[in-house]
Amino acid sequence: MSARRTVLSRLGFVCRVVAVPVACAASLGLVGALSPSPAGASSSGRTALVGTFKITPGACFGAAVSGTYFRMIDPKGSVATGPFFSNPDSTCPNHTFTLAVPGTQGGLVTGHYQPNPTPAFSATGGALASDIVQPQSFTAIDFSIATNKKDPQTGQSVPCPQIWVKNGKLSGQVEAWSAAWNKLYFNQGSPKPNGSHPGLTLPISGTYNASTHAYLLTWSSQVVGGPFNGFTGYWHLAGTFVPAKGSK
Amino acid sequence: MSLREEQRSAASPARRWTLVAVALLGLALVVAPFTFGMFTKGPEGATMMSAFRPFMHAPTLDGYQADLRQIDAGVQQTDGSVNAFLSGGAPDTAAFDAFFPDFASFDHQWPAIDAKMTNLMSQVQGNLGNYQAIAALPSFNLFAWFFVIPGALLALLALGALAFPAWRRGARGALVVVGVGLVVAPIAFQMFSRAPDGTRMMTTFRTMETTQNVEQIQSYFGTMAEGQGAIRLDVVPALERRGLSAAQVATQFPAVATLDANWVHILNDMTPMIGAMSDNVANYQAMRSLPPMTLFPWFFVIPGALVAGLALAAGSGRRRESEAASVPFDAVLEPITVPPLSVREGV
Repeated sequence: MSARRTVLSRLGFVCRVVAVPVACAASLGLVGALSPSPAGASSSGRTALVGTFKITPGACFGAAVSGTYFRMIDPKGSVATGPFFSNPDSTCPNHTFTLAVPGTQGGLVTGHYQPNPTPAFSATGGALASDIVQPQSFTAIDFSIATNKKDPQTGQSVPCPQIWVKNGKLSGQVEAWSAAWNKLYFNQGSPKPNGSHPGLTLPISGTYNASTHAYLLTWSSQVVGGPFNGFTGYWHLAGTFVPAKGSK
Repeated sequence: MSLREEQRSAASPARRWTLVAVALLGLALVVAPFTFGMFTKGPEGATMMSAFRPFMHAPTLDGYQADLRQIDAGVQQTDGSVNAFLSGGAPDTAAFDAFFPDFASFDHQWPAIDAKMTNLMSQVQGNLGNYQAIAALPSFNLFAWFFVIPGALLALLALGALAFPAWRRGARGALVVVGVGLVVAPIAFQMFSRAPDGTRMMTTFRTMETTQNVEQIQSYFGTMAEGQGAIRLDVVPALERRGLSAAQVATQFPAVATLDANWVHILNDMTPMIGAMSDNVANYQAMRSLPPMTLFPWFFVIPGALVAGLALAAGSGRRRESEAASVPFDAVLEPITVPPLSVREGV
């Protein structure tokens, strides 16, 4: 686990350093080029998935929920059973599911940041970021997602998102995953920007079908600080991975 | 002072004692902030004061009370005239609750939420003056240094005077000045009136700035959001399905319409305050673990008065010793040659 963490940190470091003058994607390419393995593959047998994790919109069919969605777990709750925060604006019968709609870039891009726009908020506090997902109403105020070089809540530099596959299992880091709502930012990455996994924060896990490119990514991230301190966001991304040009 | 006088003074146990006492007092002042952890707790207190600053204004606090009144008015109107309108006569609470379960859930919890939140805001409002009194003091970031700097100065002056007798006259004057400064500083900063205000605020916040209380308020927030959502997304559309336009809803049910219209504003107001409360639980606890604020002026006045007194006592002791010892001592070492007086001079 610690060796894995070290590799992640090193790759994150490369990503962080190179990201200043060059896009993160270039740094991932550099990692691949330096590696004896084929492009995108690491010596550990993992293959970096560089491209866009296109998200399938969330949908509800009665109690069943599919596609991409978000839930917020109350403090002292559990990922499996909640209790969950109820978002009255949810279009599901069960208001604890907030469904996602793909943004202008279709979903999460690895090897790149998808930063907040300027300004990041409307006058009334609605989030305006729309690359990854379209802003969705959460208790009457829009929230959205972005990945930024500097996490806007903690002010810490964070690596751009990275996802690997090994034997059909996904792993990686999304330290930069940041929710914006009501003129506030909430880091929702895993691990957190300091590399920790506080509370119910769980590492990225998921599956990837190399032939269909269908993927499922999940993680949870406890909110540290602010009005939702102690709540935990659970992220469920599903869709199709589209490799970047020149990537496997 | 001649070299011999200085040598005599250096040999005086009484004078040495006073300087040693001053040096110890100085060192105690230097050590105190480390003992109390002021170098970490002071900045935490400063962070808390700074975090609360945006909210601690009478209009802002009045605004929170107005927000709560708006929510309450909206809930009351929904329970009353909206229920009656949708029930086609007298309010039918059972049917209404069955039809709008999310609102009903909120409605049952609202009286307790309203009482708690209104009381909380009243307590904060009641402590506005106390907060402002503390905010008018120098920053808590500097707090530890108010002990360390004069303490180090006192210790250095006293130890210097012990080591170098030639400095004693100047050192004694400086010690008196520092001692008086320590006595005067709390008076100049109005610490005797402001520190008790601070104690009162800290006492009030004791039940507010706890993880348990913050989590309860967070849970209230979720309940209120769900309840308002039920009014906005279930109840008002039901009114519209009965043929009312948005304008008619606003006219017939103004409290409901006002709550809907102002909800985002209410969230804009309340969310950062909950965030500040949550983020400062640890900072408050750190402040709370310091000695009571009412004692702080005395932490300056008592050592200051002691130092000034000891420095003055050392001076008077020196004079007495000098007066008592000068004739025989000087008579032995330096016989005075008295010129013969003439008759004229004697006259």
